Amino acid sequence: MTTLFSDDVTIILTAGLVATACAILGVFLVLRRVALMGDAVSHAVLPGIVAVFLLTESRAPFPMIVGAALFAILCVLAIEWLRGTGLLRADAAIGLVFPALFALGVLGIHRYAGNIHLDLDSTIYGEIAFAPFRTVEIGGVLVAQSLIISGAVAIVNLALVVLLWKELKATTFDPEFSKSVGLNPTWVSRMLLVAVSITAVTAFESVGAILVVALLIVPAAAAYLLTDRLWAMVAIAVGIGWISAVVGYTGAVQADASIAGAMGVTAAVLFGVALIASPKYGLLARRIALHRRRRATRPVAAQEG
Amino acid sequence: MTPANDVLALEIDHLTVSYRDRPVLWDVDAHFPAGALSAIVGPNGSGKSTLLKAALGLVPADAGRVAILGGSSGSARSKVAYVPQRDAVDWDFPVTVREVVEMGRYRSVGWFRRVGRSQRAIVDDCLERVGMAPFAGRQIGQLSGGQRQRVFIARALAQQTELLVLDEPFAGVDARTEHAILGLLGELRDHGRSIVIVHHDLGTVRSTFDWVLVLNVRTVACGPIAETLTPENLRRAYGSDAVVAEEPEPAPWG
Amino acid sequence: MGVIAEQLSATFPLTYSEAIVAMGAAILGIAAGMLGALAVLQGRSLVGDALAHSALPGVAVAFIVTGAKDPASLLAGAILAGIVGAFMIVGIERTSRIRPDAAIGVVLSSFFALGIVLLTYISNTGGAQQAGLDTYLFGQAAGIVERDVEIMAVMAGGAALVVVAFFRIFKTVLFDRSFASSLGVPVKIVELATTALLVVAIVIGLRTVGAILMVAMLITPTVVARQFTNRLVWLLPVAALVGATVGITGALASSQAEVPTGPVIVLVGVSLAVLAILFAPGRGVAWRAATLARARRRENTSGVLVALETAMHHGAPPTPRELALASGRSARSVRRGLRDLSRAGLVQRDEGRVILNERGAAAAHAALESRRLWSAWLEHGWRLDLPDAREADPRDLRASLGDDAVDQLVVLEREATA
Repeated sequence: MTTLFSDDVTIILTAGLVATACAILGVFLVLRRVALMGDAVSHAVLPGIVAVFLLTESRAPFPMIVGAALFAILCVLAIEWLRGTGLLRADAAIGLVFPALFALGVLGIHRYAGNIHLDLDSTIYGEIAFAPFRTVEIGGVLVAQSLIISGAVAIVNLALVVLLWKELKATTFDPEFSKSVGLNPTWVSRMLLVAVSITAVTAFESVGAILVVALLIVPAAAAYLLTDRLWAMVAIAVGIGWISAVVGYTGAVQADASIAGAMGVTAAVLFGVALIASPKYGLLARRIALHRRRRATRPVAAQEG
Repeated sequence: MTPANDVLALEIDHLTVSYRDRPVLWDVDAHFPAGALSAIVGPNGSGKSTLLKAALGLVPADAGRVAILGGSSGSARSKVAYVPQRDAVDWDFPVTVREVVEMGRYRSVGWFRRVGRSQRAIVDDCLERVGMAPFAGRQIGQLSGGQRQRVFIARALAQQTELLVLDEPFAGVDARTEHAILGLLGELRDHGRSIVIVHHDLGTVRSTFDWVLVLNVRTVACGPIAETLTPENLRRAYGSDAVVAEEPEPAPWG
Repeated sequence: MGVIAEQLSATFPLTYSEAIVAMGAAILGIAAGMLGALAVLQGRSLVGDALAHSALPGVAVAFIVTGAKDPASLLAGAILAGIVGAFMIVGIERTSRIRPDAAIGVVLSSFFALGIVLLTYISNTGGAQQAGLDTYLFGQAAGIVERDVEIMAVMAGGAALVVVAFFRIFKTVLFDRSFASSLGVPVKIVELATTALLVVAIVIGLRTVGAILMVAMLITPTVVARQFTNRLVWLLPVAALVGATVGITGALASSQAEVPTGPVIVLVGVSLAVLAILFAPGRGVAWRAATLARARRRENTSGVLVALETAMHHGAPPTPRELALASGRSARSVRRGLRDLSRAGLVQRDEGRVILNERGAAAAHAALESRRLWSAWLEHGWRLDLPDAREADPRDLRASLGDDAVDQLVVLEREATA
């Protein structure tokens, strides 16, 4: 029986698809100023994964997604509740809820580490290097399971964003107005975060808990520095995700280090480049514009004065 | 009882709204005739914005009834275009002027569907009417305060509703734009639309509007300008005598 | 340190190493509680999360450079990396259009990714020496030795001295940045110092709680303390005390159960915080919900009472349905209001109709009177001659304004209507 892709290609494709799924949603997290809610939700899915694992003793994707989504919803509602009490600020609410949920997950893993094939290292680092080894047969060829799952999530996220394009746009841009035309910003936001949680749980195995956050936020933030068009921002974020996948994998193999970590570092470097060299919003461009403005206004100011 | 052609644009009956346990609006009665340009005036903290939001069902009311164009609030909300205050807007958001105006069509487009060609013709027309057609491709943050407000007026026009409700539309807007927008609103009124504006400039209210509600937590007075915008009523609403002067307040940068 | 630990293990049922662990956890809790408060009050608690994550590559680099697991040099690396991370967050926020939340997220995940690359690189090339570096992720109190505690105590003591010495400056800047700078306080330097202190707290906790969960240790003590005090002078010591309690409980429990310490400490702390948020007297959610519900109910009852009085004034006693229609209230609100009124003996039922009795009429008049006063306050309040900045509370004008002012109001109103 033949395998569809070589191991290298499988890993890069999986990584690229995970990055795609993350970047699509990340754009809206960054624009809605809830980047850290994305962080919180992707941590909060861990106890869901562990609980499903302990209950069903399998790694079947569907129950895992349900378990993770439940905990993500719990996390979002808990943060909304804490914020609603008016007793603590939004950032403190986030910082209370997700560590608690993540801590539950870590303890769960630790307690049952002997019985389950889930350990702390893979939770943190991910196991993308093993992606080619778990395969399923489709039409006579072997395809890596992780490739199918991450592809499916990328497609679902893309479909979600395309279908809800104008709802996401309006509720993010002007929540007050969108309420008056019958849209519900709270529900759109919750839907987005549930999608983030589903993405996080499927990305968990490949890139691990914290790097999901890197792929959610960093490419989107970099894209935000590069364009004034929403669709372009999505496209650029996805592009940065793919570059991170290819370069990160190559670099990780060379240095014998974590592939997921190397992807995150690549994305961070690309963000740094955008921060400095973006043609419109980069540091250099701003410096130059400021310099020009000063030169242009100085004589005028002198005349007026 | 009332004939169909005599339907009120907005009717508010015993409206009470509180924030926590403090009343913000208190047993407010008011009505605004159809086909008129009406203003809501009152001092800071008198509940003007809250009145609009409660009328549109955006904040919950403790008691009271609201009728929009004769219908009760829920279904009637689609008959109102609302221009909110602009502090919640994210100016860095990557949208163009045209996309913002398209948002006015979202209710009629419905969930999951895209904005079609006939809808886009309406959007073009609205951009034209506020003079923003040449700027349709600009990112919203790259406009001046006045231009931004024109875009939001265009978005409200694109909703093609009988009733337009605007919350402090001229805050931070230059005098020329204010004049142009008021002219446009007057034109709409002449074509039979109803307009309700929260406004702070008593001078323009006197010269341009037809109807006024003077509000200070409860209704001070409500009726045609000449009978309602009296020094006595203004003193009752604003307290001090300072604001009762007949001249318009000068715009901060006029 | 060893002497104290011996003393502790002699007085309490603790082994010597448990005493060391408890001391370490106490120092951590004090530092995190006191220094975390500075960040929480600025609304920058998640900066602490980012700094904790960025300490990780610092530890790894220090290990690569020195080639040894010397706690002092590893912590120095962590401090350095934390400060670099802090500068990056501020730099990204100030120089670009990226918002604080995304700036924090970017720095957090970038540094953590780098840390993981370095840790995996070390473990794949370095061999056995690295074992134990990953305790910096989730913390392992059991591995703490006397020398660790000594270093932690020195750092925490230094940080506490700074806070005490410059307390008034911290207070001014925390409360009102621009006012502080108008006084000539070097605000930027103070903010830098706050961040540096935060890094110190994080580094102290790194061995015990770990990088990933440290943020909760910074937040929980302040949240708990804030529920019980309104004053910064008390907030810091109470937060330190709460931190120490949480730290000791968590650390001892986790070393007994042989699980990572970070998660246990976090769960203890967050449970305490939730309890405080719910039940703290005065500020607790349950407490305030009850007060608000009572006030709303009183308000509703008085509204229904006035509506009933008005309806009776206009005609026959109404049915509850008619009353709801006439007053614009929901049927539920009228039903509740009537139930309260009849319980108070102010109304009677007669074949489905509601009748206000004599006492009820008196109560309605009192309510109307208080509404009229409130109206008068809205209209004439600006003319009142009041001894201080008091303002009217619509629920009880007499209590909030004083009898004298109310009498003035009545006079003013009478003049106006005359």
